[in-house]
Amino acid sequence: MRIIACTEGSFGKLEPFSLEMITAARTAGAAGDEVVAFFAGQELEPAVANLGAADRLVAASAGGSQLIAAESYTRLLADTVAAEEPGLVLVPYSANGLDVAGNLAARTGWPLVSYVNEIRRDGDRLTVVAQVYGGKILAECSVPLPAILMVNPGAFAEAERRAVDPSKLQHFDATAAVAEGKVRLVGVDVPNYDSVDLTTAERIVCVGRGIGDEASIDIARGLADILGAEIAGSRPVVDSGWLPKVRQVGKSGQKVKPKLYLALGVSGAPEHLEGMSKSDLIIAVNTDPKAPIFNVAHFGATCDLFDLVANLSERLQPGR
Amino acid sequence: MKILVVLRMIPDSAGELELTSDGRGIDREWLDFQLNDFDDHALEEAILLKEASGATVVAVAIGEGSNRVLQMAVARGADEAIALEAEGDGMIDSRAIAGSIVALARSKAADLLLCGVQSTEDLFGQLVPYAGALLGWPHVSGSSRVGIEASALRVTQERGGGIAATYEIALPAVIGVQTASKAPRYVSGSKLREASKTAIGKAPSEPAGFERSAEIVALRLPGQRGSGENLGDNPENVADRLASILAAKGFAGV
Repeated sequence: MRIIACTEGSFGKLEPFSLEMITAARTAGAAGDEVVAFFAGQELEPAVANLGAADRLVAASAGGSQLIAAESYTRLLADTVAAEEPGLVLVPYSANGLDVAGNLAARTGWPLVSYVNEIRRDGDRLTVVAQVYGGKILAECSVPLPAILMVNPGAFAEAERRAVDPSKLQHFDATAAVAEGKVRLVGVDVPNYDSVDLTTAERIVCVGRGIGDEASIDIARGLADILGAEIAGSRPVVDSGWLPKVRQVGKSGQKVKPKLYLALGVSGAPEHLEGMSKSDLIIAVNTDPKAPIFNVAHFGATCDLFDLVANLSERLQPGR
Repeated sequence: MKILVVLRMIPDSAGELELTSDGRGIDREWLDFQLNDFDDHALEEAILLKEASGATVVAVAIGEGSNRVLQMAVARGADEAIALEAEGDGMIDSRAIAGSIVALARSKAADLLLCGVQSTEDLFGQLVPYAGALLGWPHVSGSSRVGIEASALRVTQERGGGIAATYEIALPAVIGVQTASKAPRYVSGSKLREASKTAIGKAPSEPAGFERSAEIVALRLPGQRGSGENLGDNPENVADRLASILAAKGFAGV
């Protein structure tokens, strides 16, 4: 069987989950299977320099912009799928992957399972484990082949980074095809980290939905000040406008790895864990004992976060 | 411009989830159902577009508590409310409901289909690409801003790492909203009472358009909590322990 592992990269960098897709493909594969990495981007360098763990690389380049709209990525991938006739296509669960996986499933009529964490080959089928309900329930699914899986970043280890052998690279220029798309890229904003860069912060206090309202963020900020930590928020907090976007941790925000990560009222949806689970020391406070944040926390407490913050602030800075 | 916005009622993930005795579903008897958070943002984006451009907004809801959420949608500014029949009472499978949503988009002559980028029940794929593919319309998932200029949409998409891409897309189109341009508004009780007079239409379930083909063998709760230590639920004890842990690891006394 042939397995296509979809990869992504922009601004000269390969998304690390690209290497995870190759590991996932090897996990799903049997002896003799071929793993083909697929890449589409302005520059091929990030793919060519890193994706050598795949058996081959099919890479589409399109000048003009650092980012390629999912619409174009999907069309190029669909052409590759038609030519390569794979038994399995692995798509990373990313902003791009959300559009790519479902559209490819619609074009091919193949089954699709999303939010996948584990893959096992059972003869001519796969058994996969996917996360639903924000990671609170695991769904074991049986999937006939050919199929498409949308795989969670962080679920598989990165394959070894090494350069692709030139004989294993198949490159085509897709600039004209991308220019025909109905989704026209007109601008790219890269965040301005002049004020704060969470990715370099050594200590982070992150507030989640459990903080309740905007005014209460000051209470958490007080503790952050005592600890010399940056204040951060999960997606619901930032979406509510209580903290600026540059302070968001998770899939659509920043991926952080501080020495201390104190999560207050954060449930720990898979999209949040993707952004912080590699922190050195994780302390989580949430009144729901089944909150998934406790699956990655080194220390967890189920008390009221406001009671805890008041008591802890007092212990750390008596008299304040 | 006519906007169809999809509102899915899903179990509250913050609540207690228990499995049915056959292990293939979650026990829905005592569950709290709430509007999918991303769909709430899609509704807000639809109303903001209406206010900016005079669009008409048709809200379609599916699942337990649809009527309640449709009244809320009308109170927020939706012009028409439709409850979509659901098949069975299991997960709202976006792959399965895509056919019904697409049929409604066609019968209502919608130019723009808005829904939340995803739901926690999207095990077999997300609504945006399925509906976009069935309609043959371009689709973009994960928007943080949707505006209209002339007859083209301007959509900003969160690409991860804080990078945002802005696209121009000719209508018709399907957009998966992650975050509305402004936080969803609250509605007053009086507006809700006023909205309760609006009749709620019904739409039948249509064939899916896609075979499901993958199947759930079993659901299970994640195993053990991680290897982390549980400090309990007494705030004073927890504070004592954390203070000493932080001190031991060099984090206290900055």
